[in-house]
Amino acid sequence: MSAPTSNQNPQSSQSTNRFAQFKLVLLGESAVGKSSIVHRFVKNTFDDMRESTIGAAFLTQTITLPESKTTIKFEIWDTAGQERYKSLAPMYYRNANAALCVYDITSRSSFSKAQDWIKELKKQAPEGIVIALVGNKSDLADSREVEESEVEEYIQQASEDGSSIITSECSAKSGDGVLEIFTSIAKSLPVEEAVGAGTNRNRAGAGNRRAGGVDLGRARRPEQASSGCC
Amino acid sequence: MMPPYQRTERRKSMAERRPSVSYTPPVIPHLAGLEKPQELSLKLEECDVLIMGTGLVESILAASLSWQGVQVLHIDNKNYYGDSSSTLTIEQLKKWCMEVNQGRMQHFQDAQIYVPGGKTTNKFKSKDYGIDLTPKIMFCKSDLLSLLIKSRVYKYLEFQSLSNFHVFENDDFSQKITTQTSKEDIFTDKSLSLITKRNLMKFLKFILTDNKEPQKKKVLQESSKSRISDFLVSQFSLEKPQINELVYSIGLCINEDTKTPEALAKIKRFLSSFDVYGNFPVMVSKYGGPGEISQGFCRSAAVAGTVYKLNTALVDYDPKSKIAKFNDGSHVKINEKIVVSPSQIPKFLQSSYNEITAPLKQYSITRLITVVRRDCKEWMSEQESSAIVVFPPHSLPTNNDQSVQVIIQNGGTGVCPEGQSIWFSHTSEQDLNRAKQDLESAYGKMETSLLRESTSDLDEAFDDHDFVLSAQGTPVFINSFKLGESLSNFVPKEKLEIVCKLGYVQKTYVNPDLSNIFHAKPENNVVLKNLEDAKNDIIFSNMPSAELSYDGIIGEAKLIYQKITGTDEDFFDVDFEDEDEEDNEYNEAHKVASTTTMKSVGSSGGIVGGGPNSNTNLHALSSDNENVIEDDSDDDHNPFGADEMEL
Repeated sequence: MSAPTSNQNPQSSQSTNRFAQFKLVLLGESAVGKSSIVHRFVKNTFDDMRESTIGAAFLTQTITLPESKTTIKFEIWDTAGQERYKSLAPMYYRNANAALCVYDITSRSSFSKAQDWIKELKKQAPEGIVIALVGNKSDLADSREVEESEVEEYIQQASEDGSSIITSECSAKSGDGVLEIFTSIAKSLPVEEAVGAGTNRNRAGAGNRRAGGVDLGRARRPEQASSGCC
Repeated sequence: MMPPYQRTERRKSMAERRPSVSYTPPVIPHLAGLEKPQELSLKLEECDVLIMGTGLVESILAASLSWQGVQVLHIDNKNYYGDSSSTLTIEQLKKWCMEVNQGRMQHFQDAQIYVPGGKTTNKFKSKDYGIDLTPKIMFCKSDLLSLLIKSRVYKYLEFQSLSNFHVFENDDFSQKITTQTSKEDIFTDKSLSLITKRNLMKFLKFILTDNKEPQKKKVLQESSKSRISDFLVSQFSLEKPQINELVYSIGLCINEDTKTPEALAKIKRFLSSFDVYGNFPVMVSKYGGPGEISQGFCRSAAVAGTVYKLNTALVDYDPKSKIAKFNDGSHVKINEKIVVSPSQIPKFLQSSYNEITAPLKQYSITRLITVVRRDCKEWMSEQESSAIVVFPPHSLPTNNDQSVQVIIQNGGTGVCPEGQSIWFSHTSEQDLNRAKQDLESAYGKMETSLLRESTSDLDEAFDDHDFVLSAQGTPVFINSFKLGESLSNFVPKEKLEIVCKLGYVQKTYVNPDLSNIFHAKPENNVVLKNLEDAKNDIIFSNMPSAELSYDGIIGEAKLIYQKITGTDEDFFDVDFEDEDEEDNEYNEAHKVASTTTMKSVGSSGGIVGGGPNSNTNLHALSSDNENVIEDDSDDDHNPFGADEMEL
């Protein structure tokens, strides 16, 4: 995985470049290409997703915002299919900083499902979560069923409660627009806050870490911790 | 360690029967991104194993099976994860209590929930609470912890240290175990006589000695039937306060009948957990205990291909065609087995379940959970957000036979808002009226001591005896708080503000000492019972046990796993190919953040004296004898009974 150079030298990243980590969750109807978008973002390829989803607790990717000299690390949670029968666990939404609600521009029903997910997010997710409504498969514009004007219309309605939603289209297949989505999410995230709280950050939870936390991956006596049953 | 599974010839495991090399989990979200969703491929027509109930044991089972390439369908008749060990909000609990009292929550009864005041006097957001139905603590050296690491499920979770264990005795609380506890300082009570101290040291040395050492072996064999308190008196001349401390606080034993081998294994469980991650023996998971961890394992199972369907119940199963029918009208062919949680038993299985459980001994666990508007920091170490309080047998005015164990967690653990805390108390007293009285009495003692502590002037509360001189000659505060000390004379001027109070009784066939998990037989454990008329396709799991720690959870999951696959050899036998990449990448990105975190954990506290080297002593002692822990499990005639605790 190609990580920005700033990551390889944490010392310098502290002084000249700042680092912040955020949890991003994926939402949307099955088969709209949620995983494909992430795969394009993380590995910059389109297919062969499987082996990386298996085993990895979640995918991670960093991007750097040159203007604010900040490296943003996304910890990306896939639904792992648990959305299919409306069985996502509260754990999924917990401490999520951003959500990618994906629909397929060639499927009207997937667009209305994405709207349902945004409703669900407003109920379940933490306040201030950055929401991006993303139309995938922009390469299939010929079979488009969802017009950009409709999206705009919906966003106006949905923003009445003061929430702001990023909208965009992309093609996981060609890669068009994918990086741009993550960059605009990064720009909307509360980077200053996260950088400020950075020293306390621990593994899984992006931000929101507290004193007294224990990293299970880091035992004082690793031989003890791993010599249990299995 | 596990009871042998009776089979003349070992049946091939699912993993062996299925070529797992070419296996790709079918439920990984579709990647094509090109075609329209294929409705057919989304429809589940068959699966290998159906698991009903998303409790912790069942969730671990789902993950373990699907990581071996078994297609699992995991359902729950509730609309939330966790089943009988779920983490619920206050609104969910209100509904839950109603359902318990309507008889719709099998194995629960006598539920009461009390939310005082109206909407203006008792303002709260239900969503801010995560209340565990069966709260638990995790020892730093335990099989669940190992599995969390191996399965990587720990990455979904957050853990916090817990180092304060309080014992109530003589109408008084005393804090004996703290962050800076070391071998010498396990007893911070400096009023101990030199003789008592020496006896304690002798005992600690004994417990950490190799079990095969001839003299120890002899002593253990002779004491295998004696009660732990008799043993500690006769062998080490220990006195009641130290015995209470060792047996009920450190050991978390629940009554006076606890036999020496079991109690020693439990005391050792504490000692060997110490200093694995820092100067604390125990951790709690943030935002909830078993309810949270089960969500983690379910996610892991989902990543490996398990299909999840909440709000779904089995309504019929035909053992001939192997077709299972569900309440949403769908039906699925079950190739292998059906695992049924005791809280999800469908009507058509009820009489069979009653029949096979009839010979089993049933135990009651009575719980009282109170949410109070206090952070209870008085009971916790700096930087920590939870503590344990234990009321040993006969310490309460009710003359309790069984100890009352309490987990206290404040807003820092994410289970309630800041400035509040949840007191989770329970007892294994089998007389339900007595159980409730014991719990109320314990609650009263805690309330009084908390009010006394917070209303009294600090100068009055502490005297010179609460300080000792450190190695540098500076006074060190030894009692971070002073609960009680003449509680009887204190009349509180105010009442503790309560957000919510909840009581209920849970039934289980798991013995409180977990003996029928660690030594499971068809005669004592429902998992091993066979249901002939369903062609042995159906396996029942157990309700959660009364055990305060997670001990026994993995044991039961393995028991079911073995019954399904014929072996538990490949239980979570997984290698993550991307391991190195992930970790390196992680290490690089986190070098700064994580080292500081670990440091801050290690140096937290500083409340109790003991000198700068105090934290290394127990470490040295226990790691010198590390083989003791390993040896225990190999020794069949081991009178220590360590396999009971799977140390």
